Amino acid sequence: MNPILNFIEKIDQQNLWDKTLKLNRKGYLKVSGSVDTNLYFIVSGSLKIYVLDEFEENIIRFGYIDNFISSLDSFITEKPSDVYIQAIKRTELKVIKKPAFMSFVESSEENTKIWQLILMNLIVQQMERERDILTASPKERYKRVLARSPQLFQEIPNKYIASYLRMTPETLSRIKKS
Amino acid sequence: MTTTSEQLIQDLVERTRLNINEAEKFSNFSNEKLNHKIKYDSWSILECFEHLNLYGDFYIPELKSRIENSKSLPNVNFKSGIIGNYFAKMMLPKDKLNKMKTLKDKNPIGSQLDRTTIARFIRQQEEMLKLLDTSRHIDLNKTKTAISISKLIKLKLGDTFRFVIYHNERHMAQANKVLDSKNLKAA
Repeated sequence: MNPILNFIEKIDQQNLWDKTLKLNRKGYLKVSGSVDTNLYFIVSGSLKIYVLDEFEENIIRFGYIDNFISSLDSFITEKPSDVYIQAIKRTELKVIKKPAFMSFVESSEENTKIWQLILMNLIVQQMERERDILTASPKERYKRVLARSPQLFQEIPNKYIASYLRMTPETLSRIKKS
Repeated sequence: MTTTSEQLIQDLVERTRLNINEAEKFSNFSNEKLNHKIKYDSWSILECFEHLNLYGDFYIPELKSRIENSKSLPNVNFKSGIIGNYFAKMMLPKDKLNKMKTLKDKNPIGSQLDRTTIARFIRQQEEMLKLLDTSRHIDLNKTKTAISISKLIKLKLGDTFRFVIYHNERHMAQANKVLDSKNLKAA
């Protein structure tokens, strides 16, 4: 079973959610400079995490249905983070606060193990992402991401995928056709 | 008003997030809605935004240069000045929105506006978030800024931030009032 969904079921049963949250299309969950230690579960919709560099949006990561999303830097350090998290379409989220979540994780050995598994997966994903960015050829970058997350291409509009792949939307559509 | 500097910045960042979300909401509406006026001499939704942009054109460069030139060290606490606190609180929207006078050079009425006005507002808020974050490294009390409404007075940086961001909130409330007006619902 998907470890995340196992968690969600238990958090549902134990009633640990703080609240649910609805965002309009393009609504912001988090803006640069805020401290946000919550963890969010995406019930519906999709979001992008990005940083602004001289007004240019650089997408770091996407979140879609049945996934957790958070400003992981702020979640861990409890300090301000410069990332933005914005809804791509209408999005519904369940919110759990860090203290409630951490005591849930620590409440059983099984939960601790699942959380470790989620974090380890995340480290592997981050390393994959690092290699994406170090890959010089746009076509190779595209192929890597397509092989790794085909779901991305179904859920997320092209212009955002292009930003994630560090290429223009025109280059992306040319590569897709070839 | 006394608070920690970090609490003040976090509160202002959160208010700015909500202001941006309001702006994103409005940017989905038709030009007709965005240009609608309740009365001939009242402001449309776009005029509310343009008024804020004119303010931003003054405050963002002013805040930026004061912050960049400040040699102060961060202070754990922020204590609002008497005048600064008065001006800031005056800006916060009340349940029943009270009318206020607008200085001529900040009056947007009759400007040519379209939805790029809202995009400009959002751009300014991104800039504002950057300034709020940079201010974590200086003293919000000792750093002073000029204000648009009087040449004689300078406010503490923390109060100027409050003044500008509360003022944004006030006009988001006004724009929502235009949106809720009967005329517009029927249109």
